[in-house]
Order: sequence, then structure tokens, then C-alpha cells
Amino acid sequence: MTALLTDRGGRGSRPRGRPELYTSYSSDIALLNTPAKRAGVLAIVAAAFALPFAVSDQVLVLLGTGLAMSVGAIGLNIVTGYAGQVSLGHAFFVGLGAYTAAVLSGDPDGRLVGFGLPMVVWLPAAGLVAGAAGLLVAPLATRLRGLYLAIVTLGLVFLGEHVFREWDSVTGGPGVGRDAVQASLFGNSLTAGGAVLSGAQKVYLFALVVLIAAAVPARNLARSGVGRAFAAVRDRDIAAEVIGVSLTKAKLLAFTISSFYAGICGALLYTITRTVEPNSFNLLLSVRFIAMVLIGGAATISGSIMGAMFVTLLPRFTQQVPRFVPFIGQGVTGGGLLTNVELEAMLYGLLIIAFLIFEPRGLFGVWLRVRNYWKGWPFSY
Amino acid sequence: MTATLEPPAPTTTMTVPARVRDRAQRDPQRVALREKDFGIWQEVTWAQYWDHVLDVAHGLLALGVAPGDRVAIHSENRPEWLYADLATCAVRAITMGLYPTNPAAEVSYLLSNSGSKILVAEDQEQVDKALAVAGELPDLERIVYVEPRGIRHRYDDPRLLSWDDFLVLGRRHRADHPATVEERMNSAAPDDVMTLIYTSGTTGPPKGAMLTNANVEFAIKALVTEGGFYNPPPGPDDITLSYLPLCHVAERIATVWVNAQAGTTVHFAESIETVQQNLREVQPTLFFAVPRIWEKIHAGIQIRMASASLVKRLNYALWIRVAGRIGDAMVRNGGRPTAQTRVLYGLGYPFLFRSLRDRVGLRKCRAAGSGAAPIAPEILQWFFGIGVPIYEIYGMTENSAVATVNRPGRVKLGTVGEPQPGTELRIDSETGEILTRNPAVFAGYWRNADATRRTLEPDGWLHTGDVGVWVDGTHVKITDRMKDIIITAGGKNVSPSEIENAIKASPYVKEAVVIGDRRPYLTALIGIELDTVGDWAQRRRLPYTTYRDLADKPEVRKLVQGVVDGVNSRVASAEQIKKFTMLPKELDHEDGELTATQKVKRAAITDMFAGLVDGMYGGGRSASGRPAGTAP
Repeated sequence: MTALLTDRGGRGSRPRGRPELYTSYSSDIALLNTPAKRAGVLAIVAAAFALPFAVSDQVLVLLGTGLAMSVGAIGLNIVTGYAGQVSLGHAFFVGLGAYTAAVLSGDPDGRLVGFGLPMVVWLPAAGLVAGAAGLLVAPLATRLRGLYLAIVTLGLVFLGEHVFREWDSVTGGPGVGRDAVQASLFGNSLTAGGAVLSGAQKVYLFALVVLIAAAVPARNLARSGVGRAFAAVRDRDIAAEVIGVSLTKAKLLAFTISSFYAGICGALLYTITRTVEPNSFNLLLSVRFIAMVLIGGAATISGSIMGAMFVTLLPRFTQQVPRFVPFIGQGVTGGGLLTNVELEAMLYGLLIIAFLIFEPRGLFGVWLRVRNYWKGWPFSY
Repeated sequence: MTATLEPPAPTTTMTVPARVRDRAQRDPQRVALREKDFGIWQEVTWAQYWDHVLDVAHGLLALGVAPGDRVAIHSENRPEWLYADLATCAVRAITMGLYPTNPAAEVSYLLSNSGSKILVAEDQEQVDKALAVAGELPDLERIVYVEPRGIRHRYDDPRLLSWDDFLVLGRRHRADHPATVEERMNSAAPDDVMTLIYTSGTTGPPKGAMLTNANVEFAIKALVTEGGFYNPPPGPDDITLSYLPLCHVAERIATVWVNAQAGTTVHFAESIETVQQNLREVQPTLFFAVPRIWEKIHAGIQIRMASASLVKRLNYALWIRVAGRIGDAMVRNGGRPTAQTRVLYGLGYPFLFRSLRDRVGLRKCRAAGSGAAPIAPEILQWFFGIGVPIYEIYGMTENSAVATVNRPGRVKLGTVGEPQPGTELRIDSETGEILTRNPAVFAGYWRNADATRRTLEPDGWLHTGDVGVWVDGTHVKITDRMKDIIITAGGKNVSPSEIENAIKASPYVKEAVVIGDRRPYLTALIGIELDTVGDWAQRRRLPYTTYRDLADKPEVRKLVQGVVDGVNSRVASAEQIKKFTMLPKELDHEDGELTATQKVKRAAITDMFAGLVDGMYGGGRSASGRPAGTAP
């Protein structure tokens, strides 16, 4: 991993203070190819690790959920943003991951099926099962594209929802659900409070580590030959085929990797929320993931994280709105013209429209603009 | 090549290749050269550098190069240029450089005049030029080409030899006769001619100035070791960018000699078009440029600022005013910062100066020089203001560029500075011509005893051909080239280049040629800078198609009129430009209007545009039917 993060490869001996003077290809394509980027990323990671000691447990759980959602958003961004294959079926793969993890880690003597396996087994297994499902679905994508693919993946969500609802012995059935993932590392529970750290702190840190472990390979994938093949398929599949990119292979790979990330996301998400309800893996969840990708920025990893955090934290802000705006009521039963839940739903729509019109590159594009403004200083281009 | 701790073999005469050999032994793994190729900067260490030079030197021996033979190099700046140059010097032959822009006719003249035996040509373009005139070159035995593209398997001239085959030849010779190059080097004498540098020749054909080892040794001592070129003197941590033609004495000093003596790292720009980009990447600590480049950087900043957003424009306007004050105060203080300028500069550094210098590639620049042509003092002062002190240096091929320099802290703007240490300089009381004498004065013109007699006195004084005056008894101010001085019909002596430079200080003017010899008043031919004027026109929503169309616009004429009026208001009435005409085309080397170093060939211009000139002296309408401009 260090080889990915630094530019010490090759016999680069670039003189100090000249970030654009590349003496080897490895330093040219390094993920953190300038000192400013290295310092910036280091600062963000350090801040993320320090955060649990600064904010309340309630907020931490929300942030942890955001981190888990980020893994899923990265997954969707790989298949939709990078490889250009629209998928509405992301929620199905997230559900697969969640139930795989729940079943493998569940209490063997409990009401429902469970095997009591440790985290090192269920976390990768959640990804692998979802990935395998993705691999099965991928051949559809190699034959279809655009709208047709969207419809087929839409069908997948309904199929999945039905299975989850009916398979009581695994899911507990609608309205009941089952206990979520039991996460422990070396005998220490990752969710229950301990002597040093509270449960929320632990679970946040766990999600953070998993996100970093997921984001770095994804970013690395994007700059590799595979990533370039994805982009070629996205930009023009016929042209990609002409220059020697195997469409079947690229799409297969994109769906598999994407589903793997979705599975990890599902396992992580329901480590945090404590119960799994079969109805939650519906079309709305898929749409939320798409919102994350569009708001964050298609074909960017850091954009996926920004988008996921933004969409996850949005309800927290809309909850505050009724206090200040008189005609917006609190909760489903609250009075007023609108409730905060309705407001939230409307905001999603408005935000997606606004981003698509004004900044199609999403939050990442906003960041790019800000960065280029200062990078170009004192000129404008 | 492996490192050895033994002292280098003693040589009787120190030479440039001997310096590289010694450094390769002392510091073999340090980077000597970088060349951008396939998108990254490929590195050449000192050991590899010397190894290459040895291979090439043996290759030259294998081709039968004897001491005193001429080896011509016709290439853009690249490591192979240096390998060939040093190898030629190592085997006591004479290097002759050609400008990459030289057309075939000039190539023919230069190769036949020098009697070159070997030609190192960069690519198909240069090989074609040589082959086109190969019939007139009986002395030319081999053409070594560096880039095989378009040549290999297509051309079957028996004289052609690829660089790779040439190296193989050299390595074989090196294996068979390992010490021969070293022996040749040890037999080098101070009087050996090391290089022929053809002067650009604004009048008549170019003349080859012979520089000996002794000349170059003195030049290296004065310019590199004692800081006559870059001050403070360069060291191994310094970084330079090589982009001006290497066959010109200034770039030869800046690239080859500075590098060999001080151990700097040389970076080769990809091409002249990418210099700006390469400058940003390399951020050289030492930078030498001709006035045209400084003007271009200055004009480029103006263009880009004009289209910047409002906040950025306001920020620039504020701090560039401060820079103007800093520059003014520094110039009055001999180029030294004062306490006040230091504070002002420190305030402006985070807002403008740091980023501005970074964007143009001069952030790390600690010493900059300008030479080879006169530069407008306004430009120098502007660069002083933004924290890039440029020291004007004066010299010419015939004295290995060792004559005068402005030293830090003793700068007088508008002068070319004080004589270099060890250099005598006097100004002829009758003609006003500047004469210099020092050990760097050349040995004479190649096969041209007449010209040598006219230029070089028997007691070693060199006629520079420049007219100048002393300023405050210490600094020299160049008025003009002697042959360019205009004597108007009214009997007034006018120096055209001063007026021309004042006009060219405007970012909108690229060329200005003042005319008026034996005429009642002064006129000028003015060529616009297409980039800046084009940008100016665009912002005014002024449509135009070609250079000519743009130059003919009444609005553009008015713009130039403003520039000319500004200059006229500052000079005596005899020196005012009464009328001017826009040049209908951009001047070009290929068309014979400029020399290879982009200097205007005055005589050629006045002949070529005789119709336009006559039009300004009562000839009614000019040849092209456009009325000449009239100054109020």
C-alpha cells in the first residue's frame, strides 16, 4: 500500500519544491503526487480519527452510517460513474451483504439461522456473496445498455425485496426483522461500550478503517488499466471495443467489484443500526445511492464519500428546520404545510436537479472549482 | 564507468571535457542532465554523461577526425548536442553549431565555409537540408543523424550514419584503443581552436569567430567562477533550463560551460513552443534570456490578467502598483532592496508575487540575466518589482561574451554595467566605438583575414562595432550599433535602437524599425504582437482574420499611435517619429528579414518594404495603397 501512496518508485530524484517535475512514471501517476495532496489527505485522515473524541455518540452513529454508505456509494460509482452502466439494483446487493453478514455472525442458538462466525469471516463473505450475485447479473449488462439495463436492474430490486420478505427463517419477515450483525474483533465487541471507548466510538472507528481499506484500492483501480478500460466503455462502447477493450470483461468486472462493495456496505451498515428489516432494501435505497453519486460527483472516489456523507446528514439538518420555519411541521404527524420528512424528500429532488444543471460533476466539481480558483491565482486560467 | 578515488590524470591544459571527466569521477551518480522524453524527465548522471562523450569521441576517431577538423552540429538543444560538442573538443577538433532554423542555403554556406568533415544532424528535416546541397560540400564525409525516423531504410546516401551505429563504432574503437581519447586530451594546447561560432550577420554573410581553449578558460573564470554571468556564482545545487540555440555563445555558456564548471543540472526544454510549460515544471534557479523572452513573459502576464476575474484583477492591480514602487526604489538604490522594499515585498508575497512567479516559472530563480540585445529599462524595473532581479550583461561572440555586466547592488538601469574583472575597456574618442581587451578576445575570423584585421588590433584590442558612452565613469551605456546610427538630413545623429526599444516596451509592439538616414525626419515600420493585439481586439469585439487584416484596422493603428505618441513625448523633437506604417507581415528568419537570433536585418527590411518607406516621405500613397500614419 505504501507503494501506492508515495512516489518513491523508479529512480526519481526530483529536486525539492518542483511538484510538476516528474522523473519517473510512477511518481507521475502516484495517487498523492504532490506534497500538498499528501499533507491534505493526512490532515483529513487524522481529523477523521480524532473526531470520535470530540462529538456526541448520537452524531457519531450518524457519521458512522455515512461512512458505511460511502463504501456503497463508491461501489455504485465504479459501475455507474466509471464504467457508465446505470444500475438501479444497488439496494439488492446491499441487502445480500447485510443478510450474509447477519446469518454468518448470528447466534447459532437463536430464533433464526445463525453460525456465530467471527468478523474476519463474515465481512469478506458479505462482499463475496454480493460480488458473486453481481457476477451472475453482469451477463445481462453485457447484452443491454442504457435504459434497458436500468429497467432490468430495477426488476432485480423487486425480486430481492420479495425474497427478503418471504424468507422468514433468514430475515425474520417484514415488520419483525432480525438482530443485525454481531461484530467483534479478538473477543472484543465492536458495538458494545467498553472501558476505554463507547460503543458508538468503536463502531465509528471500525467503519472508518473499513472505508479507508475500501477507498484506496478503488482509487487505485480507477487510475489503472482496468479503470481506463471502464472509462473507455463509458464514453463510447463501440470505440472502446475497436481499441481492444473487451466489453464483456470490463462490464463483468465492473458489476462484480461494484456488488462486492455493496455487500461490504450492507454488512457494515447493519453493524451500526443493530436490526435488519427486510423492507429497507427497496427502490428508495437505490435512489438514495444514485443521489449520493450524482451529488458527490460521478467517477470520483472522494466525491462518492462527500455525496454519501451529505445525503446521510441531510435528515439531521431537515429535522432542525421546523424549529425555525413556522409552516413546516415536525415528524409524520406534525402539523403545518409540510413535514420535515416531506421537505427532505423534496430536497433530494431539488438537489439532484440543481446539481445536474449547475454542477454535473457534483460536490467534487465544486471542490475542483475552488481548488482551481486558487491554483490559477493570480490568473483565471 | 565506475567511481575511482584516484586523482584525475594531470593535463597540461584545462578544457571543458576535462571538467566533465573530473566531475564524473568525483560525483558519478549525481544528475547532470535531464531531458523530457515521453512525458517524463529522463536523467543522465555525470558518469553516463562522460561515458557518452567518450563513446562519441572514439566514434569521431574511428571516422578519422584529426586535430583541427571541423565537426558541425545541426540540432535543437538535447544531450546529444553536448556529447558531440565535448567529444569534438576532447579529440582536439573544432565544433561548429548551426541554428535549427537555418534554411538550406545558409546551411550550405556555413558547412562549406567551415569545411566541416562530419555533420551531426538531428532529424530528417536537418538531414534534408544538408543533402539538398551535399553536391557543393566536398569536405563533408559523414552525416550522423540522431533521430532515425524517416531516414532509416529510406535514404541510401553512403555518407549517412545513424547515431546508434556511430556509438557502436565508437565503443568498438574504445575497446581496441582504450587510451587514445585521453592521450588526445592531454595533448591539448591553449591555442587550440575549440569552436567556431558564426556571428549572426545583420549585414553580409555570417563570419566564423574562432574561440580557443584559452579564450574559453578565461571566459569560464570570469563568467562562471567569479559570477560574471550569474551572480552569486552557480553551484552544484543550481538548476537551469536550456532552450536558446546552443550555437549562440550565450546559451553555450549558460548550458555547457556553467554546467561543466559548476556542476549544475541542465534541463532541456522539449521545444521552443513548450518553454513556458517547461519553465513551470523545472523552476530554474538560474535563468538567462534574451530581451524578446523577457518581453514575452511580461506581455503574457498582461494578457492573462486582462481576462482574469474581477477579484483577481483588483488584487493584481493593487500589488503590481506596489511592485512598481519596489522596482523604482530598488533601481534608485543600485538594484539593492531597501528596508522599505523588503517590507512591501513581504506583504505582497503571499498575495501576488509568490504565485505570479510560480506561474511563470521564476519562483526559485535567484539570478537572472539578459543579454544578446538591448532591453528596455522599463521591463527590467518591472521584473525588479516582482522580485526577479535581472542583470544585464554585455558581450559578443568575438570576446566570448566577456565585456561588461551589471553586478548586484551596483546596477545602473539603461547601462550594460561595469567591465568584467581582467577586462580593459575604452571608448574611442573620435568614433565613440567601444573597444575591449582581455584573454577572451577571439583568435580571428575563420578563413577571413580581412575581417579579422578590421576587427582585431595587433595589440589585442577588439572593435566591438558598438557605440557607447561612460556613465558616471564606471558604467557603460551602449548607444547603438555603429553602422545603425542615423544621421538625418538635418545633420542630427540619432540612435534608432533606443527609440525602437522604447516603442517595443509596449506589449502590443513586437518589431519597430526606425528609418531616417539622410531623410528630413524619422519614420518607423512597426509590427504588432499578434497575441496581445489579438487578445485586445477580441475584448473589444473587433473581428479580424489574419495578421495583415488586424494590423490594418484603424483601431489598431490608433492603439499603436498612442504608443508612439507616448515615446515621442519623452524625446527631443529630432528624435520623434513623425510617421509610421504597419508592417504587413510578421518578420521571419526564412524570408531573410531576421537573423537566426531574431535580430532585424535593417538593410533587408528597408529594401523589402521600400514602397512603404517612400510612402512616408512624400511619395504620396504607399505601395500597398494604405495611407501612412501621421503623428500630430
